[in-house]
Amino acid sequence: MSDETFTTLGTRERGLAAAAGFRSRPSLLQFLLLFAFGALVVQTLIVVEARPQDLITGVSGMADLLARATPPDWSRLPDALWPALETVDIAIFGTVFAVLLAAPLAILAAANVTPARPFYYLARGIIALTRAVPDLVWALLFVTAVGLGPFPGALALAVHSVGMLGRLFAEVVEDMDMGPVEALTTTGASRLQVFTHAVLPGVLPSLLGISLYRFDENLRSSLVLGFVGAGGIGFQLLTAMNLFQYRTVSLLLIIVFVLVMSAERISALLRARVA
Amino acid sequence: MAGAGAGPGGETLLRVRGLRMRFAGGTAALDGVDLSVGPGELVIVLGSNGSGKSTLLRCISRLLHPTGGEILVAGQNLSRLEGAALRRARQALGMIFQHGNLVRRRSVLANVVSGSLGRHPGIRTSLGLLPAGEVPAALGYLREVGLEHLAQRRASTLSGGQAQRVAIARALAQRPRLLLADEPVASLDPEAAEEIMRLLRRLAKEDGLGVLCVLHQPELAVRYADRIVGLQHGRVLFDQPAGELAEAPIDRLYEAKTQAQAA
Repeated sequence: MSDETFTTLGTRERGLAAAAGFRSRPSLLQFLLLFAFGALVVQTLIVVEARPQDLITGVSGMADLLARATPPDWSRLPDALWPALETVDIAIFGTVFAVLLAAPLAILAAANVTPARPFYYLARGIIALTRAVPDLVWALLFVTAVGLGPFPGALALAVHSVGMLGRLFAEVVEDMDMGPVEALTTTGASRLQVFTHAVLPGVLPSLLGISLYRFDENLRSSLVLGFVGAGGIGFQLLTAMNLFQYRTVSLLLIIVFVLVMSAERISALLRARVA
Repeated sequence: MAGAGAGPGGETLLRVRGLRMRFAGGTAALDGVDLSVGPGELVIVLGSNGSGKSTLLRCISRLLHPTGGEILVAGQNLSRLEGAALRRARQALGMIFQHGNLVRRRSVLANVVSGSLGRHPGIRTSLGLLPAGEVPAALGYLREVGLEHLAQRRASTLSGGQAQRVAIARALAQRPRLLLADEPVASLDPEAAEEIMRLLRRLAKEDGLGVLCVLHQPELAVRYADRIVGLQHGRVLFDQPAGELAEAPIDRLYEAKTQAQAA
């Protein structure tokens, strides 16, 4: 809206226009916000010690690494298959058990269906705690508790995913259309019947979509968890790097790429089907 | 108002006595409402926004817990029931909502069949295992509302009028004695609105159901109702046979609202 247009307005109209978000020029607050954002970005450059010149001087080192990593050592492929399966299974285990735990937790943590306020706060607390602690930290804790291998990795993903899924599931339940729930309640249906015939059909596609997306995320996470001794192909990758076996590293990275892309594709296809 | 709400045999399906509903914060939505509906009778409740019409139906169906008064359905006092007893009693009341409230992702048939859930409590029905006889019965109710050919359609693909007729079929699958309709034509075009009103009247006259319907359109009320109840500020302003009702009481019903808006 131009300045001319605004000058033709009366005081009341100008007030209404401002309240609706229309202004002839940026306000002082907008200037301050823009300045604050700029200052925020500049301080990150200082704190992370950003040195763009290092990227240029590091190119030769990168090129040397790439030369030593090619061609991939295909003879190690049979040895990499079991860890690859471990990685996928860690993600499946973590996702399935997280869904099983997150579903009832989400019902308690959804304000519109929770049976009682204390359950709501308890469920929200569990969700916040499991989410706040990163999966890598959970993996370190479980490695200490149950030893090295894929099991602590699977447990870490399951626990962390409970928090992530619990929160998203609860949001889906809170946003659901309560109309069908009321309609079935008035037919004399029981709480369980209302849940299976009105709540579930309404929210299931969203829950499935979120779970598939979580599996996708968990597969990526399970690669990193191997770095702290929680099994899978990540552990192989760390070992190969420590032993300077860069051709094995490149083979493992190709496998990782194929796994991640396949999971992403399958997850996207399934999500599209249930939408 | 002698005989109001009594069926041919003197039977009353619904009798509401001194119904009060006060929301948290002190707002009195219903302030001692009395009304009754007999078998085969179509009673229409008129009133401006905020007069307590929808609250009245939600209290009768016990979606809301009234703060006082009695709701007698076929002699049983719903206002004092809880749990399984309330669920059993609710089966006599079919409720139709403004937007149909269908499960949009399920088929028309599945929506109608779900109306019978209250008659089949237990784990099996929660898992979707219903007695085989419910499917032909549901198809029969769909035929009654003229939508048998859409049985396999997903509910989300229906027009507003079709969705409302499916919602009526779902209420019929409950085998109720009384239908409560909360502004069933509010979001429909005039033609679809007439269809729904004709259907409700037919269900009252041919099937002997009692129908208590909340409407916003006085002209539809006058044409279809046996009796019209005027509600204002949570109180019954008038309760008269539609044929005997003059224009003045209806105008008075909306007068306060118009004056408030003008002020």
